[in-house]
Amino acid sequence: MEEKEWITSELERVYHNSRDYKQKALLAETIRLLQEQYLRIEQKEGELDGSLWSPKDW
Amino acid sequence: MKTLVVISHPEIAESGSQQYLLSSVPEKEAVTVHHLESIYPSGQIDIEAEQRLLMEHDRILFQFPFYWYSSPALLKKWQDDVLTDGFAYGAQGSRLAGKEFGLILTIGVKATAYQAGGKEGFSISELTKPYQAIAMKTKMTYLQPLVIPQFAYMQEKQKMQLLIAYQQMLTREREDSLASREKWLIHELEKTDPATLASGDEQVIQQAIERIEENRETIDELDAILEQVRQS
Repeated sequence: MEEKEWITSELERVYHNSRDYKQKALLAETIRLLQEQYLRIEQKEGELDGSLWSPKDW
Repeated sequence: MKTLVVISHPEIAESGSQQYLLSSVPEKEAVTVHHLESIYPSGQIDIEAEQRLLMEHDRILFQFPFYWYSSPALLKKWQDDVLTDGFAYGAQGSRLAGKEFGLILTIGVKATAYQAGGKEGFSISELTKPYQAIAMKTKMTYLQPLVIPQFAYMQEKQKMQLLIAYQQMLTREREDSLASREKWLIHELEKTDPATLASGDEQVIQQAIERIEENRETIDELDAILEQVRQS
């Protein structure tokens, strides 16, 4: 399993086991923020690929 | 940073949204919650005490239900009484200069109602101009508001997102970037109580913090490479 999926499923498990409402909200936010980071990385990598393959450099 | 939340609500005990927000106030942080109707049931405001309170805080937030595009009456009276010439503005004033000022509004309709063509016709930014003008006149920095529409219809997941947004409004630095949200979240994860976690789960929290930090490094590296590519 990829690290991204692994940490998400681990955090989901921790969320379900937590006995505090505010802590659960914090854990849900952690999952959301990590997803946002992974998406940002994916987008920047895509942008980099696009830049490196720009026709103006051919 | 010390935050003062000035709440005005005539029936706070009966308000589900206000009670939810009160229970969401972050623990172990320098936050003062100040409900005007509880402190001044007769409406007589202790002006000096209020001005002192303002001076002691760096971020001032008004929290209220948006009644007829404004605040409940006591908050307006508070503004008239407390934000005086010589204290908040004027030749001898500007005691609030450099502080941050923001609004936390509960509204009874969908967020999209507040726009041109929507049910209310005007945006929250347009309707809250008097508060923005207060910030300008008193030389405070106006923050993005936290608008809470139709709390009663929110599902649990949305309520949890609101809890976090509220805590961030109270304690996160002003800049609203992914990097500043990462910083805030790491700080919160570091101080979360292990006693309410299952045995061994503390380690996962630590791994999540490390992952967030590593992802940040990757994002910064990609930014640096992209900048080089753009320049070449």
